[in-house]
Amino acid sequence: MKLSDREQDGVVILEPKGKIMGGPDASLLHDKLYEYIEHDKKQVIVDLSQVDWMNSTGLGILISGYTTLKNSGGELKLANVTDKIQSLLTITKLVTVFDAYDSIEDAIQSFR
Amino acid sequence: MQKPIINGNRITIPSDQEYLADVDSFLDGQLRELTVGESIRADIAISVSELVNNAILHGNKSSPEKVVTVEISSEPGQVTIAVSDQGTGFTEEQIDDPVADENLLKEVGRGIFIVRALMDDVDISASERGTTISISKSF
Repeated sequence: MKLSDREQDGVVILEPKGKIMGGPDASLLHDKLYEYIEHDKKQVIVDLSQVDWMNSTGLGILISGYTTLKNSGGELKLANVTDKIQSLLTITKLVTVFDAYDSIEDAIQSFR
Repeated sequence: MQKPIINGNRITIPSDQEYLADVDSFLDGQLRELTVGESIRADIAISVSELVNNAILHGNKSSPEKVVTVEISSEPGQVTIAVSDQGTGFTEEQIDDPVADENLLKEVGRGIFIVRALMDDVDISASERGTTISISKSF
């Protein structure tokens, strides 16, 4: 997995790419997410458009970020969820937890 | 054991998540040879990654003395993958229901649940010498 990150209109956008399966690669996403949280960035979008698939490790990282941000008055939202990941979110009922948007722009607008 | 060993349709790795990508690469090559379609390849890859993570972390407890073996077999239209560790056994009763409301925000505990949802058949065989979980999928 590779990871890029940026800020747009005051919102942090994390863009993982590849497969999120655990181990050192998955730590990248976790560590970057918490780096922003520690810097008091409380509005985060994870763009999943370039993620081939993720397993429960990836879901656990998203939940961890979601919970940490929510407890500090922030929010983690998803954008561009692929069919494969949408299927996993449905199977695990996490579709009821995460706000998901069809584009980064829509996700940014939702913070306004 | 310091690095993955591939022998035909089997890969053996040290008990370290660093080698997950090696298993995935090996598996993807084998499934492509069997002409398994992209979506089912992804379902199998997700499932095997869950099982290998469990084998490393919970079965072998990341012991450098122990290994995880992934073996692929097939018959027309169906592939079976067996993931074996050298731990002390496994029972599903130990796992909370991950879709119960009170567990929904737990960060762990979904692996086997996801595997059961994605695969056609899951067989768990545990003994004092280790656990083998075999998964099958039609394609």
